[in-house]
Amino acid sequence: MLSWRERCLLGIQRVLAQAFAPLTWLLTVGWMRLGRRYRILDRSAVRRRFRDLLVEGDGPVIVCANHLTVIDSLLLIWALASVWNGALKSALFPWNVPEKSNYYKNPLLCAFCYLGKCLPIVRRGPRVEIRKVLDRVAYLLTRGESVMLFPEGGRSRSGRVSLENFAYGVGTVLQEVPRARVLCVYLRGVEQGGFCDLPPSGERFYVDLKMLTPRTEQTGRRGARDLATQVVETLVEMECRYFEKSA
Amino acid sequence: MDQSETYNKIVKLITPYVKNTAALEAANSSTRILEDLEVNSARLVDIILAIEDEFSVAIDDEAADRVQTLGDAVEVVLARSAVR
Repeated sequence: MLSWRERCLLGIQRVLAQAFAPLTWLLTVGWMRLGRRYRILDRSAVRRRFRDLLVEGDGPVIVCANHLTVIDSLLLIWALASVWNGALKSALFPWNVPEKSNYYKNPLLCAFCYLGKCLPIVRRGPRVEIRKVLDRVAYLLTRGESVMLFPEGGRSRSGRVSLENFAYGVGTVLQEVPRARVLCVYLRGVEQGGFCDLPPSGERFYVDLKMLTPRTEQTGRRGARDLATQVVETLVEMECRYFEKSA
Repeated sequence: MDQSETYNKIVKLITPYVKNTAALEAANSSTRILEDLEVNSARLVDIILAIEDEFSVAIDDEAADRVQTLGDAVEVVLARSAVR
């Protein structure tokens, strides 16, 4: 349970992030589109589908994607909603849980992450600290916000979604917020080989979406594992579909 | 169940998750599961669940957090078996 102070701080971050969204998005998308010449394939269809999936069912949404580059969350935010829709409707601008050591390197990046609705986490940090972040995530979901998580817990070193190496954090969050739905997103640059920091300039990105409502009879760690496994198995299926299409 | 038997069973349970097999061959009670055996930290949950199944014990989060070495795992199992 979050304290009154923590809830206020999240509320302030949300208000500021939404207010500055036009600026932060235009800078980010401008850099991706003009500086890096990235393109999202069928972007309008992807955004329409995202909006439709959000309103089709009840419950907050956890966006769960595969993870290959350091800018996946930026690419996904760009792919899923326009700057104006994201600025006006908070659920279309998901919160993020980035690894603290990767992004919180200088005051400018810290400010950018804050306005990008980031909640930093230390992946192998003390359980108490991880618990605090998961509590914030659960609180935001119960308030109708959407949150983006990478169930693999880091970039896939093999370049493919792995059923061997994924964390159960998403399962823990789903146990906390049983009403939550999971929007599985498969994102991949068409020239993407393995994992990398930045995709090459001019890359075009394929995006596929599938809504999932994971359920389990199990509790505790077993329940978290079961729920997270369902999410990652869905991402594996989506990846197979991508490679079948592109073969 | 004695300490040595428990230790051997735990090593067997951990083996599928070990990346540094050379370290496993030379392992002893003070061998660190994550650092020395290079087990992925996300797999610690699977190891705890496997230990619970094998020894029919329940390990809470605090006890699981204390498991750093093979010896710690043995201690936790023996302590839980004693109170069962």
